[in-house]
Amino acid sequence: MTIAQKGRWLVIVGLVLLGGVYVRALAFTPVERFQGPAQKIFYVHVPSAVTTELAVILLGLAGVFYLFLKDPRLDRFAESSAEVGTVFAGIVLTTGPIWGKPIWGTWWTWDARLTSTLFLFFLLMGYQVLRGAITDDGLRARYSAVLGSCAVVLVGFIHLSVYLFPTLHPQPIVLKPSKPSLPPEMLVTLLLSFGVFLLLFTGFVMQRYAIATRRAEAFHG
Amino acid sequence: MRELWRQAWTIARKDLTLEFRSRTAIVSALVFTALVLTVFNFGRDPTAVSTLDLAPSILWVTFTFAAMLALNRAFQLELENQALEGLLISPLDRRSLYWGKLLANLAFVVVVEAVGLPLFVLFFNVAVGHVLLPLLAVIALATVGFVAVGTLFSAMVVRTRFAELLLPVVLFPFLLLPLTYAVQATARLLAGRPLSEVAGWLRLLAAYDIVFVAVASWLFPYTVEE
Amino acid sequence: MDSGVPQNAGYLIAAYILVPTILIAYAVSLYRRSQRP
Repeated sequence: MTIAQKGRWLVIVGLVLLGGVYVRALAFTPVERFQGPAQKIFYVHVPSAVTTELAVILLGLAGVFYLFLKDPRLDRFAESSAEVGTVFAGIVLTTGPIWGKPIWGTWWTWDARLTSTLFLFFLLMGYQVLRGAITDDGLRARYSAVLGSCAVVLVGFIHLSVYLFPTLHPQPIVLKPSKPSLPPEMLVTLLLSFGVFLLLFTGFVMQRYAIATRRAEAFHG
Repeated sequence: MRELWRQAWTIARKDLTLEFRSRTAIVSALVFTALVLTVFNFGRDPTAVSTLDLAPSILWVTFTFAAMLALNRAFQLELENQALEGLLISPLDRRSLYWGKLLANLAFVVVVEAVGLPLFVLFFNVAVGHVLLPLLAVIALATVGFVAVGTLFSAMVVRTRFAELLLPVVLFPFLLLPLTYAVQATARLLAGRPLSEVAGWLRLLAAYDIVFVAVASWLFPYTVEE
Repeated sequence: MDSGVPQNAGYLIAAYILVPTILIAYAVSLYRRSQRP
């Protein structure tokens, strides 16, 4: 099987398993007493947020390695991770308000997760806009690697600053999804959902990577 | 090491000489800053919100735009007449090019801020005298943060189409962090909070500066190599 | 004390439909782009 085909299978399996997660979330996970059924949006919202951050970290690391190794496959991977990350960011930024409206009464809140995902979204947008503005493959790969490296350092800095400066009032921009202590059934559902979203991410990146490879081959003959 | 600094200083001096000889850029930036401050004045209802509540935001949004303006022209000088190639062929160390540009950009932005801050105090009647030194420290640290990353990105963006549009889009996420820290620190300073509350934000700014100046100077050669 | 849990299942359904819609739409987009010569 080609990479693209494997990726498609992973996505199909992922979508089926997502259905399984839904069943578990709806029928076998308790309803949260104060938030009601809408709290269950949590099981798709949080894994999407983590996947978005993973996408940014991966494209950044790929960038750093590209600067040393100059392997164009790293750049294609970074490009793929960016696009897929944007999709998951979209999921976070839409499910967030849908969750927020019944719970907090407003469509948007500057809470830690939404704010940081919005932030990641802007990083991803900037990254892709920069790529779109450069026609030369080598230059685009190099500049994307530079930007991606800065992005991953920034994400790391935000996380670290929580530990180095704990006395400061936590700002909304801090990326620390402090998980409340969940009852075990909820935790299991959440972890299962993480697995599914990781599967979907991998499948999508593989397909997108295959497209990037074909484009590069077509261009260079 | 000393050679690096000497080269950087040469580049900075060249830039600043060109900049201040023509004066167009600096005058435009100063007028722009005054205009932004004026816009803020007309953009608010003084009876509804107290100036002190808005002051940190006004100051820092103004400075952010001023820095962006300054960085936009950072590599414009080299773009004309392919001066950048000339610089690269010379035996100058690539890193000193970054440091030189950084110094020049810092000087430019500092001049703009040096005029912007008194204007801000004047227009909005904000008392800063009693916290001037810490406030200057916040401004200095945040400015270094803006310019460190901005200098790196402007080197990349200058070779793309739509450079002026691209730079803000790519740079703003990186400015949001020092901006947040600066606004938090400034708000506490202007509200008369004890310095101990401000110290944490200053440390965050300093940490950001150290990390990103290091990262940017390490990455810079990759933006200009052939 | 009001022992009733909030009746907001509508939002839950909306979100649970939205997510696979986005995912499937993206999957289709990837497939179509891979088929172009």
